[in-house]
Amino acid sequence: MNTESTTEPVIEANQLDLTFQTNDGPVHALKDVNLSINKGDFVSFIGPSGCGKTTFLRCIAALETPTGGTLTVNGMTPDEARRNRAYGYVFQAAGLYPWRTIAKNIKLPLEIMGYSSAEQDERVSKVLDLVDLNGFGGKFPWQLSGGMQQRASIARALAFDADLLLMDEPFGALDEIVRDHLNEQLLALWARTEKTIGFVTHSIPEAVYLSTKIVVMSPRPGRITDVIDSPLPKERPLDIRDSPEFIEVAHRVREGLRAGHSDD
Amino acid sequence: MQNFATEFNAAMALILNGDAELWAIVLLSLKVSLFAVLISALIGMPLGAALAVARFPGRRVLIVLMNALMGLPPVVVGLLVYLMLSRSGPLGVLELLYTPTAMIIAQVVLVTPIIAALTRQVIEMLAEEYSEQLRSLGVSRLSSVPVLLWDARLALVTALLAGFGRAIAEVGAVIIVGGNINHVTRVMTTTIALETSKGNLALALALGAILIGIAVAVTAMVSTLSLRAEQEGLRHA
Repeated sequence: MNTESTTEPVIEANQLDLTFQTNDGPVHALKDVNLSINKGDFVSFIGPSGCGKTTFLRCIAALETPTGGTLTVNGMTPDEARRNRAYGYVFQAAGLYPWRTIAKNIKLPLEIMGYSSAEQDERVSKVLDLVDLNGFGGKFPWQLSGGMQQRASIARALAFDADLLLMDEPFGALDEIVRDHLNEQLLALWARTEKTIGFVTHSIPEAVYLSTKIVVMSPRPGRITDVIDSPLPKERPLDIRDSPEFIEVAHRVREGLRAGHSDD
Repeated sequence: MQNFATEFNAAMALILNGDAELWAIVLLSLKVSLFAVLISALIGMPLGAALAVARFPGRRVLIVLMNALMGLPPVVVGLLVYLMLSRSGPLGVLELLYTPTAMIIAQVVLVTPIIAALTRQVIEMLAEEYSEQLRSLGVSRLSSVPVLLWDARLALVTALLAGFGRAIAEVGAVIIVGGNINHVTRVMTTTIALETSKGNLALALALGAILIGIAVAVTAMVSTLSLRAEQEGLRHA
């Protein structure tokens, strides 16, 4: 590993603003957001609903267009980065299509991008392996548990080798035990693939357990109230959540959330 | 009533004995309409899919127009195609009038809007489902058309069958541009019209029975397929 190379940030936001015009007047979804994310970071965005965490992720993905400030992804505009296949996106609901098998769901981006069918097969088996779903390619989504569906959805986002993985509350709908298990697997996957990950969540333990950097956000207007660089080691067994360091970080996140909470 | 029973028995005999004239007419009908549906599909499906995903000014107007064309009166289509193909018409040099080709052309005009409009509906719904995923891939909307068409194949067969049902049962257009010439352009519907007016009810009844059989079979296939497509969609919920 070459650790000396100067690392250009993967994502750089400067005074980013996004105002939606609604019938009830303008809504400040994002205001004055400054953030830089480095290669290999695991960044969590945490905050109550309406704080702009998903909106910010969607701006990175060029699914929303900021109304002010600058945002670069790999040094390009988000739209250019998207066309260069910079990221894979995991949506809130697994978003698998019931008329396609798991393998065919993973192939969807590859089909549209025009990969040869041999290459498609090869990639599908590679990513199914990464998310531990070997042998499930021929199943239909409804034959899989919720956790397995979400893993398949992650596999689809990994299929075309984007270095950046954007995940919008991927485990929000799953129960605690399944979520723990998926969190562990996600860390293992992150260690193996060395991807940069942007992860939206509203669970404090999840954010602290997964991240190297935690971005705490507040609503009205959507803004960043705290950025915490995690002191936790890269190797994280589940019981690290009982360690004093973990509890301290969780406490700081909670404080940040409380400070930004305009009482209403 | 006595008369009807005799005619009916004669009709059944025609069908069961494999009357050569009868089956030649059935065969020509099938050939003309299947060709027409095939050509309409090649034009209508990509057109409908493109209209479903592309965004341009005037798109709404085009969609309304296409839906309106689904209800074209066959006789008027026959008249227009006749004017195009007649000796003095712009395509007169091709000498297609009163040939099966002319009948195919007329049916293509009738069926293409049906297939295009139904395809547009189906693909637009599917594209809506795929929308976020496709946007996150940064591909142009049109480049997703082949995948969308393939994924909607079950529903699209329904569109084809609907088009075929329209083509095979239609009489007004083919009788004008085909001319109902014996052994050349005489199809089931035109024969029924002619033979009934001549009082030859046996042949008309026999063809009518076959035509109804085809119509019922097509409708049954349409509803089975839509039911299956619906259930596959429901299993998601």
